[in-house]
Amino acid sequence: MKVNEVPQDNAFLQSDNQIGLRDRYYALDEDGKFQEVPSVGWKPKNAAIQFAWNNRAEEAEKVRQQVITGKYSPLAYHMERLLMTSSILSQYTGLSRYKITKYCKPRHFIKMKPEDLSRLAAALNISVEELTTID
Amino acid sequence: MNMQLDFEHRHAAHCENGVVRNLLNFYGIQLSEPMILGLGSGIFFSHMPFYKLHGMPLTSFRPFPGTIFNRVTKTLGIDIQWHKFKDPDKAMQKLDEILFKGIPVGLRVGVYNLSYFPQEYRFHFNAHNLCVIGKEEDEYIISDPIGMNKHRISSADLKKVRYAWGTSPPKGRMYYIKSLKDYRPLDEKMIDKATLKTCSDMLHIPFPMFGAQGVAYLGRRMRKWEDMYGKRGAALNLAQVIRMLEEIGTGGAGFRFMYAAFLQEASEMLNRPLWNQLSMELSETGDMWRDFSYHGARFFKNREGKIQSYDDLATKLQIISDRETDIFTRLEKSIKRG
Repeated sequence: MKVNEVPQDNAFLQSDNQIGLRDRYYALDEDGKFQEVPSVGWKPKNAAIQFAWNNRAEEAEKVRQQVITGKYSPLAYHMERLLMTSSILSQYTGLSRYKITKYCKPRHFIKMKPEDLSRLAAALNISVEELTTID
Repeated sequence: MNMQLDFEHRHAAHCENGVVRNLLNFYGIQLSEPMILGLGSGIFFSHMPFYKLHGMPLTSFRPFPGTIFNRVTKTLGIDIQWHKFKDPDKAMQKLDEILFKGIPVGLRVGVYNLSYFPQEYRFHFNAHNLCVIGKEEDEYIISDPIGMNKHRISSADLKKVRYAWGTSPPKGRMYYIKSLKDYRPLDEKMIDKATLKTCSDMLHIPFPMFGAQGVAYLGRRMRKWEDMYGKRGAALNLAQVIRMLEEIGTGGAGFRFMYAAFLQEASEMLNRPLWNQLSMELSETGDMWRDFSYHGARFFKNREGKIQSYDDLATKLQIISDRETDIFTRLEKSIKRG
């Protein structure tokens, strides 16, 4: 890659972000020497990231519909949306995987103890109110 | 208690290289980022169907996290210390204890809860590195090599990312330089030894999923993806490979260029013109990796057009694999003969 070919396609990095996250490439200058060039992103990578998240959003929407029909609880929707699996959530909260899977069902979800609810909400970085709704 | 070390923060292409370079620089040892990569034998490839990230096979372009730091410091005769903790509070206590002795501390963290990352980058990736260089009230001052500037993070947030969970959790791991009493300055032997190690990793691991042949292995798996995972699953797997290839600080194509930069630097230092030629060729394989990503990304758009099949992508990988095998074989021979 030549110095002038280093991509600058920004998609996700906020310009007001104080830390200034950047990629950095080692690219060749006209004399065939490597130079370091910071970059804000590249289209194909952005497309891959966007695709993965779009797919995630679609999956979450499917679960949301199933929450409305009463198959799953809001917990299942938020886990799907926030990239959580029962095993990782179990590691964060200390609750067993079995319990978390159980809470994904509405009839167990409504009987959940408040402290379990707040632990799950904390691990998902959302408030208890958010965790109990699907908007 | 407030304090901040006189620590020069510099941006880097890769987090671990960057932390190692900045740490060494703090102790007056000045090496470039490519030299760190070269000495740490940091270029690698593996595609492991049995080791999953987000339920998909993990493709990695670097050795296991921590390896570069260990190898570089061992080569230079620097005494280091690693810690990990069961108890998060102890992990934070120890961090303060070392920091207040005036020692910058490297941390392995997960990015899922890393507050200054854009939401889109925050997945369960647990091999990010940053360096803690100060504390003010309840905030830590950190030097994260993929940021252009120093930053701050609250102690609650830092605790959270040190105890991220998922594939290979960091468990509060921290590392720092203990003493320089056996320090040896960089010499030709060290470069040769590290380069041989790199060649050995890239060429001689007797399993198909590692090193240069691993690239071809990924290609062979890729041909079966559509049958195995369906259309969407195959595209998701491809997306994951491309993210690992191009994501900030994880290596991939960028590593080919950086290792090429190392070969160029070493070629000038040791007066070996062949290495500069190999450097140019490796840089070309970096371009080929980028070509792979470029064509792969078309799978993510529904627009019909000149979409290539997974077979075409796999063929590209096969060619890359052959080229890299050839380059590292010649690199290895050039040392063994010399």
